Parts: sequence; C-alpha cells; structure tokens
Amino acid sequence: MASTQDIQSAIRARAGKLLQKEVISCFIGWEAGRFEGQSSPLVVRSAADAQKLIYNDYCVQLLAKYLLTENCSEGKVGVAVRGCESRGINLALKDGQLQRENLHLVGIACQGVKDFSTKEELKKCQECTHRNPIIYDDLIGSEVTDGPRVEDTFAEVIELEALSHDERYEYWSAVFTRCIRCKACRDVCPGCTCNECFTDQAAMGWQGKQSSLAENANYGITRMFHSGERCIECGECERVCPARLPLMQINRKVLKDAYDIFGEYVVGIDDCTPNPLDTYLLEDVEEFM
Amino acid sequence: MSVDSTVQDPKQDTATAEDAKWKPKILAFTCNWCTYAGADLAGLNRMKYPADVRLLRVPCSGRVNPQFVLHAFLKGCDGVLVCGCHPGDCHYATGNYFTRRRMLLYRRFLEYFGIEPERFMVKWISGSEAGKFRDTVIEASEAVNKLGPNYKYREEGR
Repeated sequence: MASTQDIQSAIRARAGKLLQKEVISCFIGWEAGRFEGQSSPLVVRSAADAQKLIYNDYCVQLLAKYLLTENCSEGKVGVAVRGCESRGINLALKDGQLQRENLHLVGIACQGVKDFSTKEELKKCQECTHRNPIIYDDLIGSEVTDGPRVEDTFAEVIELEALSHDERYEYWSAVFTRCIRCKACRDVCPGCTCNECFTDQAAMGWQGKQSSLAENANYGITRMFHSGERCIECGECERVCPARLPLMQINRKVLKDAYDIFGEYVVGIDDCTPNPLDTYLLEDVEEFM
Repeated sequence: MSVDSTVQDPKQDTATAEDAKWKPKILAFTCNWCTYAGADLAGLNRMKYPADVRLLRVPCSGRVNPQFVLHAFLKGCDGVLVCGCHPGDCHYATGNYFTRRRMLLYRRFLEYFGIEPERFMVKWISGSEAGKFRDTVIEASEAVNKLGPNYKYREEGR
C-alpha cells in the first residue's frame, strides 16, 4: 500500500511526463486550497504546473464530473481516477458523453478520504464498495483489499419503508422544506449530464421559482429519479448539500427497488451493459395487468 | 357570494365545506392507439362510470414522463392513471415495455415519499376492452374516494 505522499509524487511525475511528451493536453487532479486540509480540483496544462498537484486524505472532490464540465481543449485528457471516479467515467462512456480514446486514466487505489474538521472518514467512503479503480491506463502503487465498512447500506431505506405513508410524508416534507434549491447536488452528480436540465427550462415551466414545499419536492423527487437507477453511489450530492439533506436515502431507494425488480447490478462496472431503464425484457415483472 | 357572519372560524368552515363538496379529480393518461379507443368504445356502449376521470390523450404510454405524474399531484389531482396497450401490442413496437420498467420503479418511489400507491394506477387496456376501462375508472375512483383529497406536496397547500 502506497502512502498518500508517495501517491502525490507519483501523480506529479506522471502528469508532468505525459504533458511534456504531449500525450495529453491537460491533466485533472487536485490542488491545495487556501487553508490546511482544503483542496479543489485543478486542470493542469503544462509540465511545470504539474508540481501544483496534490494528493492527501482530504481530496474529497469527485473528478469524473470535471471531465464533462471543464473545457479541456483538444486532444487527450489525463485524469486521476479512484474507484468512484472510474465508475463515473464508465457511466459517461456508456452514455456516449466521453470517448475512451480521449482519456488517459491514472489509477489510484483509494483508502477513503476524510473530513478535515472531524478527521473521520467521510460517510460516502465508509459505504464505498469499489475502492480500486475499475478502469485505468496505469496504476499507482498496488490495489487495496478493503470492502465497505458499513454492513448494510440499505438499512436506512428499510427503516423508512417500515413507516406508514403519513409518517413518511412528514419525514420527507421536513427534509424538502430545508432544501434551498441551490442545485449543487445536480452540479456534482456524474450521472447528471443533460445539456439543459429540466429545472433550467424556464419556458417549459417544469420548475417554479417559489420557495415552497411543492417546488422543493418537485425538484428533489424529479432530479433524484433522473439519476435514479444510474446512481454510482459516490455520495457527492450528500457531501455538497449545504442543508445536509439525506439524499443518499433517496438514491438508494431507487437502487434497492431496481435490484429487487431487475436483479442486482453494479452501475459503472463496465462501459457497455445498458442501465435498467434504457432496456427491457419481454418477461419483465408484470404488475399492471 | 354571500358571507355568513355567524361562522366562528371561517377558514376551518371553508375547509370542511370544500371537503363535503369534494369530488375526486383523477387524471388519466391514455394511449392514443389502445386506451383512448377503449374509452371511446365504453362511451359508444353507453357504459356508466364515475365522471371523476379526465382523459389526457398521449401518443403512447411511453410518452408519459414520470414528472407528468408528480406534476399532476402537485397541481391538485387526487389520483393519476397511466394506461396503455398491452405489452406486445404497442403501436410503436416497444414503447410500453419501457413504460413498464419506468412505472414499476416510479410507483414505489412515490410511495416512499408518502403518496399512497392507490392514488397512482397503471393499467394495460386495449381498444376493445371497454369494460376493463370502466372497471378501472370505478376502481380508481373508489380508491381515491376512500382516501379523500390529496394534500401531500400540493401547491396551494391546505
């Protein structure tokens, strides 16, 4: 197992070499933030700048989304990938959002990242099932063998399902009332790749501008169903939510039902298996006869 | 409109008065090729069914975006019906297979947020099944009548 310090120097060396040889035109990694324990994604465009890249226990951001949103000029793009990033990239490849030949993936086996204020592993990393990158061009260090540190990730969903409809309505209306509709969950979601989100289609009127339970619920329920069964469980939505809403409880509900109905699958395990709602079987479950 | 000055709490009184007058409002998305024709046949045969249902014709049940259903509830519908051709009979060959998968998930999803599953029905009704259309509307209307008006996530609130 390589230490984060080793990984950092390896990322710098490889990114620098790839940029110098002009194999890639830019590299996406992390840079140090203003304060200790802070980091932010960084797009590096020259070999000299590769020294700005860092890697430590607090590199919490998921880079997969930056491949889709950053304007990364022409040519190949290099990116550091951990388990969650590789699943996000596979999802984007499957959706036709990225081309594999335009990517150079530098794999990192991830031990989980921490919250700087508490020094504890993030919730999303405790629940992580794929710590090793699924796809990569070259791997730094060796693979890790850790599984999820949480026994049943669906436990919260099962608890909620046991409540009555009215109790559940109370629970979720309390959640959605706190939503400020900043749309940060959409902006970080590697599954949200629409050029124009339904909330931005002002002329269509899908999303009203009022601050009300109905509008918040409309945003929350619809957005979560859009990513829904394609959720890679990276937990970024929950991490960035300024209102600290339990958004993974919504994502996991769709996943749990999809597993029950269509059989278990892992989102982003490869770049060719269609997502359950993109395909069908003649012998699917029939409830509507 | 006259205002009764003897009423103590006008707001509460209006709510009960509205509830007493309340009739279910059910929105039915009906596929142009099967269910809409089935509903037409029910009319031609002079079949009796509750007038609580409003039909909305769509080219295919696959056209029904799950957010249409949520919007119906937010805008004040008490129940939603999504109807289409039987699997295998879709005019566009595969539309309703996708609807089936989508709605299997979405019904459970809305239930998770507290909307009773009886309020949201999906049924396959062919062009010749006028009786099934009538029975479905009666079933939906009875279920919604039993549950009462839907105020969950509704825009106007209560």
